[in-house]
Amino acid sequence: MEFWNAYTETLPREKLNKIELKYFQDLVTYGKTHSNLYKEKLKGLEVGDIKTFDDIKKVPFTYKEELRKWQENVEPFPYGGLLGVPMEEVCTFRQTSGTTGKPVYVPESYESWQWRIESWCHILFMAGFRPRHRLFLPFGYNVYVAFWEAHYAAEKLGCEVIPGGALDTKGRVNKIIEMKVNAMAGTPTYILNIAQEAMGMGIDPKSFGIERILGAGEPLPEATRKKIEEIYNCRMYDHIGSTETCGFAGMCEAQQGLHVIEPLFLVEFLDRETLSKEVEEGEQGVLVVTPLGRHSFPVIRFNTNDVAIKGASTCDCGRTSQKMLEIVGRVDDITKIRGVLFSPKTVEQLVRSEFPEIVEYELVVTREGIMDKMLVRIEVDPKLGREEAEAVASRLSERHKIKTNLSCTTKIESPGTLPRYDLKAKRFKDMRGAH
Amino acid sequence: MDEIRKEIVNIEKSVERLKSLAKDNNAIKKNAEIILTFIYILKFITPAIEE
Repeated sequence: MEFWNAYTETLPREKLNKIELKYFQDLVTYGKTHSNLYKEKLKGLEVGDIKTFDDIKKVPFTYKEELRKWQENVEPFPYGGLLGVPMEEVCTFRQTSGTTGKPVYVPESYESWQWRIESWCHILFMAGFRPRHRLFLPFGYNVYVAFWEAHYAAEKLGCEVIPGGALDTKGRVNKIIEMKVNAMAGTPTYILNIAQEAMGMGIDPKSFGIERILGAGEPLPEATRKKIEEIYNCRMYDHIGSTETCGFAGMCEAQQGLHVIEPLFLVEFLDRETLSKEVEEGEQGVLVVTPLGRHSFPVIRFNTNDVAIKGASTCDCGRTSQKMLEIVGRVDDITKIRGVLFSPKTVEQLVRSEFPEIVEYELVVTREGIMDKMLVRIEVDPKLGREEAEAVASRLSERHKIKTNLSCTTKIESPGTLPRYDLKAKRFKDMRGAH
Repeated sequence: MDEIRKEIVNIEKSVERLKSLAKDNNAIKKNAEIILTFIYILKFITPAIEE
């Protein structure tokens, strides 16, 4: 088995903990002297108070809302109190997507950006990307961090990178064929859209010769991952990260969950109720992430709000890093409908694994009086007749009830009615607060 | 790993010297600074473990 860094990727747990504790102490010291946010936030805490791995929990969480607050009308523009290096050292601007509110602006110094790229080299290498790959990135990358990291890390690994911005989906299909692309990275939704577009052009995506794809920007349920593998006849891998934290875990070729990139990151899996205890293997925990070597934007114990199932520190690939078996979703995505806990991911799993006829879907929850109503809007394969489409809709309603314990109405929409996304699909619309 | 760490420190010293020799040459100075960026990363990914 090949490793990107055979030394760090095979260290025993106790050694990784020692290194991460030392790096954490260094980061706290750095934050307290270089970041206005942490000068204020960690006022009452001395680095000497953090003597053991358990002491890390003495450091308060950092929340996204706090990052926003420390940037609003705070000098130096636009990074405010989050900036961890002199302004002259900032070489690149990034921002968060703003999905949950005002975007956070992220400064990258050359050093911090290269540190970030190093962590992404782990993600790509683990997923089997090598210099033989001609990697197509079908996205117009811009102010968001999305795909910039993949681009730079793939270059560093020695892949040949083809930027795929400023093309429509048809243009991208043509570029894949023209350039004999053999690897891609993209949101699962858009990777499926490309396949759908190709099929509409009479081209079987299997004929592309794509060997592997890395999913980005969206959750990748196992059923969706397998569906894409089948459609393209390739291997598909996943990773997790955010603008604030960098990409902090990736899937190896064994495809049995995601490895935390240690010791670049300290990732805690904390119990959802109290956020005070590390959960056991097999249990769900909220991910609290500290990128341990980034100085331009120091972030300490960032509460990602992502929930994942904690895995083992062993793997068929030989890596010893902490694994997460499955990303369950975001805390905010899990909601109660008619008193039942509901995760939109359950429906995605259902649609992708059992309904190949469904091309696109959307979930809409509304409230009528005191009753929550769930509507599933679907677009089916245009080749299906009316009766067949209605049979699909009826079967989906039945399976939805079984899988989620919630009944729903399923509505068939005309082809092209539902929105298509190339980044962060929003297929779940909770309209209960809307008037 | 000890040998590797020593070599990284040797390179760092050498590049720091290069930087000081070229303090009036922007191109050489900047390229030396960029090498130091990667020295930081090399140190970060080859941590010594305190027993």
